[in-house]
Amino acid sequence: MDRLVFLLGTGLARGAVLALFALALVLIWRGARVVNFAQGAMAVVSTYVAFEVTSLTGSYWLGLLAALLAGGLLGFAVERGVMRFASPASPLSGVILAIGLVMVLQSALGIVFGPDYRPMRVPFDDSAIVVGGVPLLSPYDLFVLVVAVAVMGALAVLFRWTSLGLQMRAAAFAPEVSRLLGVRVSRTVTVGWVLSSVVGSLAALLLVPTSLGLNPHATDSLFVLGFTVAVVGGLDSPVGALVGGVTVGVAMSLVTGYLGAGLVPIAVLVLLVLVLLLRPAGLFAAAEARRA
Amino acid sequence: MSQRSRSVALIATTALVAAGLAACSTPEPSPGVSEDTVTVGTHTPLTGPAAAGYSSISAATKAYFDYVNDNGGINGRSIEYIVKDDGYNPATTSTVVRELVQEDEVFAVINGLGTPTHSAVVDYLNENDVPDLFVASGSPKWDQPGTFPNTFAYNASYIVEAKALATYAQETWPDKTFCVLGQDDDFGTDFTTGLVQVLGADGLTSTQTYSVSVQDVVAQIGAMQAAGCEVNFLATVNGFTALALGTAAKMKYGAQWVSSSSGGDYPTLVGYLGEDVAPLLLQGFVSSNYLPFSPDDAWVSLFQEINDEYNDGAPFSGNTVYGMSVGYLFAQALAKAGDDPTRESLLDALEVGALTGNGIVPLSFSKDSHAAFQGVGITTVDEGVQDYVDGQIYTTDAGNGPVEPYTGEAVALEGDGIPTA
Repeated sequence: MDRLVFLLGTGLARGAVLALFALALVLIWRGARVVNFAQGAMAVVSTYVAFEVTSLTGSYWLGLLAALLAGGLLGFAVERGVMRFASPASPLSGVILAIGLVMVLQSALGIVFGPDYRPMRVPFDDSAIVVGGVPLLSPYDLFVLVVAVAVMGALAVLFRWTSLGLQMRAAAFAPEVSRLLGVRVSRTVTVGWVLSSVVGSLAALLLVPTSLGLNPHATDSLFVLGFTVAVVGGLDSPVGALVGGVTVGVAMSLVTGYLGAGLVPIAVLVLLVLVLLLRPAGLFAAAEARRA
Repeated sequence: MSQRSRSVALIATTALVAAGLAACSTPEPSPGVSEDTVTVGTHTPLTGPAAAGYSSISAATKAYFDYVNDNGGINGRSIEYIVKDDGYNPATTSTVVRELVQEDEVFAVINGLGTPTHSAVVDYLNENDVPDLFVASGSPKWDQPGTFPNTFAYNASYIVEAKALATYAQETWPDKTFCVLGQDDDFGTDFTTGLVQVLGADGLTSTQTYSVSVQDVVAQIGAMQAAGCEVNFLATVNGFTALALGTAAKMKYGAQWVSSSSGGDYPTLVGYLGEDVAPLLLQGFVSSNYLPFSPDDAWVSLFQEINDEYNDGAPFSGNTVYGMSVGYLFAQALAKAGDDPTRESLLDALEVGALTGNGIVPLSFSKDSHAAFQGVGITTVDEGVQDYVDGQIYTTDAGNGPVEPYTGEAVALEGDGIPTA
């Protein structure tokens, strides 16, 4: 029983970060109808910004702020400078541009900062709180959970109740009609990229201190898992990202604990295949007619 | 052209080619050897996720060769070192090694890095009679003179290391609970095999594994803590050693850590953990090594000088010593291969046991053994300094042979670290 509680706690903390990153993918999907394969590489660039700013100033929070700003700028630059030139004729065009961007960003980081891992610190105690002899979540894990839920709530409000959010959904769903109705589609798409890049950066920034450290490839597995989460939850659904993130996080933890770490990548694939077979649009996808 | 005359032309051409080949039957010098150079190559990850742990090795080897070349080379020839990036992807390794052999026409491939990557080319190199020297991996697979006559290992095998570390642990902490965390591939499996040889089938209370694709070992460390593990062996690469120790610290789980040399390099671990916490987390950390590593060692001083002058003063770590030691061993093999080295004379020099290398135990190359180091010394970290534990050097084999203390001397530095015939 102790072991189960311990594994659930561990999975919850990891799942929150996955959920946040998946949310960034959902955001772009909602705002521009593309799957952004460069999300991880863009997020790692912002994390390097945070690392440098924190090293210079000694303040975690200034680093965090700088990373969010950098994430926003990068989202803007990538949308206006690269993705805008993707051919609308085929969704593959955007995917290929994004993969190219991954190579450019990771190589550039490798050239500037080298391949070594750099340790990142967190502003909270990251040792686990022990309850009844079982180490559960650490204060830092709780911080991650709170941030993930808060960001998710804010985005739900944005997309449901604000004019900008509704315009973004409309523009992504039916760009032509939206234009006729006076929505500046090109602007809403850019806003989608900026928001998504900020959220992705936040996820990477929260994850990296708990992993091997900062490296040009630090978000590779985060992207793969985050993508799985987004598909499991439904690319359209912020709630799906949250539930999918926690599901995948807990599943990974349980598989590691009871079956062995080697089976984790397989388990994640099995989950993905099952969801795609049984509910191809994802667990929390909206009805076909309302999908946007 | 009629059918008949085409046949005649074909026969004539064949005859001409055959005559041409016959004219060339006098022995040619081996590929990669010219009047004043010897060209060798390697495959290693310079980009991608694995670059972090390994890209500094080939740079160190190259720096050592530059040092040798500036001092007259070996038998009057300078050593050209072609480093090919395979990103630790076996498919890429196949491509770049074929480039080395067919386009660059290297004399030998040295220190090809990684078990999965090098496995992709070991057959090819042997089929084409290319010397495949000093593979950078601790798999026992490279020591099979019957199957791979051209392949020679470098690292002490994971099994040898594990047997030595287990013997040390058993003698030092006889009543403690032993456990292991291993990578879920040959590295972890071979290392655990070695541990079981010494500790017995029920000697390990908990056996945990991790996958390099999941950078999280909380569940595994939690299981070890719950199982009451007190002495934990690690068959982990440096990054995961750091992750395991960091995770345990966060869970307020204090244990004795005993790591394979592949994940036990103090300067590298400091890079992962940070200079502030590393000395605390790594106090008493036990690992093994077979190369000169003491801060006051003559080899280490020489390598530090070479590193400053020929490697832009890159961070000096176990990888630097490793890369330069491999370079030294190849230079020695080349020196012993004669004034006009051929691939045959190079392999002969290895098999007659003419090489000493620069390790703390003798090399065991012979006709029947293509393993380099059949023993390791135990190292420990005290107040931020990693050094050998006096008198704790063990030799053994990769099978079920006994583990024996070794009392001989380490190979001393001579001649400015440039081997002569």
